[in-house]
Amino acid sequence: MTATTYSDEVVACPPRAGTLYDVLELILDRGMVIDVFIRVSLVGIEILKIDARIVVASVDTYLRFAEACNRLDLERDSGSTTVPELIGGGAAKSIGKRKVRRAAESVGDTVRKAVGGDDDEEPEERPKKRRAPARGSESRRRRVEA
Amino acid sequence: MTADGVYVYAITRAGTALPEGQGGVGSPPARLRSVRQGRLAAVISDAPPDLRARRRDLLAHQDLLMRLMDEGPVLPMRFGMVAPGEDAVLRQLAADESGHAAALKRLAGCHEINLKALAAEDALADVVAEDGTVRRLRDAARRRPGYEASLRLGEAVAAALARRASDAGRRVLRELTPRARAVAAGPEVQGCALNVSFLVERDAGDAFLAEAHRFASANRGHVELRLAGPLPCYSFVAAEARPVPVGGG
Repeated sequence: MTATTYSDEVVACPPRAGTLYDVLELILDRGMVIDVFIRVSLVGIEILKIDARIVVASVDTYLRFAEACNRLDLERDSGSTTVPELIGGGAAKSIGKRKVRRAAESVGDTVRKAVGGDDDEEPEERPKKRRAPARGSESRRRRVEA
Repeated sequence: MTADGVYVYAITRAGTALPEGQGGVGSPPARLRSVRQGRLAAVISDAPPDLRARRRDLLAHQDLLMRLMDEGPVLPMRFGMVAPGEDAVLRQLAADESGHAAALKRLAGCHEINLKALAAEDALADVVAEDGTVRRLRDAARRRPGYEASLRLGEAVAAALARRASDAGRRVLRELTPRARAVAAGPEVQGCALNVSFLVERDAGDAFLAEAHRFASANRGHVELRLAGPLPCYSFVAAEARPVPVGGG
């Protein structure tokens, strides 16, 4: 076993509530509850919570990559670089965050499958996007910003 | 009033201004309104059909509460609370007006800061150097490599990392507690040795965060600390405190 040091990984402390991921369980599990009010349409919130955590984590990972990408001195035209390319490519390695990379590997499927991800796109928009494959990377980037 | 009911974001003091340009949950963002009952008001909107815990809606809920906090004390509702109608909201405000008013008074001028302690996974070298069991298992695994030996070594490493994080978590909790007005355990989160929220006075927020960062830097080989805040006081809407468990120890 090799002992590896990632000095830039420790103490990621956003001073404000920047990442939803870190406060998700507070929003879903704390806060005031009034018994006669119902949590409509949130049937299965316990399962949902886990799914939402995965999705939010994934999206936040994208966002962190996007932010890191902005700081990087990229050789390529940044306009042609999509976040998924970055994750598969060299940027992920140079950022060197083991955990982020590990999370990112499973992102693609999860974002599409789990709750919240797909739903942010209006259903009626989908056929339009399919007919315009040239805009594929554009829609991916929009999901990242969603 | 709509067939889908009324989404309730927060209880505030009567007369608390709604933040300009801020929408609620749903797409497009629902229009916010405030309904008043005595000394209290509730911030509500029509509940969107098909409400779920989407990222967009979670952020809308959270962002609104953050902005409301700039206007005065806020009792944040848990995400997804929907009342059958405005009348039901008003009845609830009236039913416990003094209780809610007291809670608002208690939280005035404060916000929540959440702290999570996770095992510092890059502390492997330290663990091998310091932990006798790990060292012994590592030597054993080198002499006789195999699945079983690897499994035992890995298990010992994981346990050692968790123990270091718990110890550090206990220490940081001890150091920060005197700086907070109240402390509340957060929900259990997988991988966290400690998940705790502090109720911190607004003016003391920077000093609190600085202290937490100082501890984090000094103990980076033992624990990864994740701080979030200032936040709405989700964990302090109830008067009674929850004991803080420190896991993995």
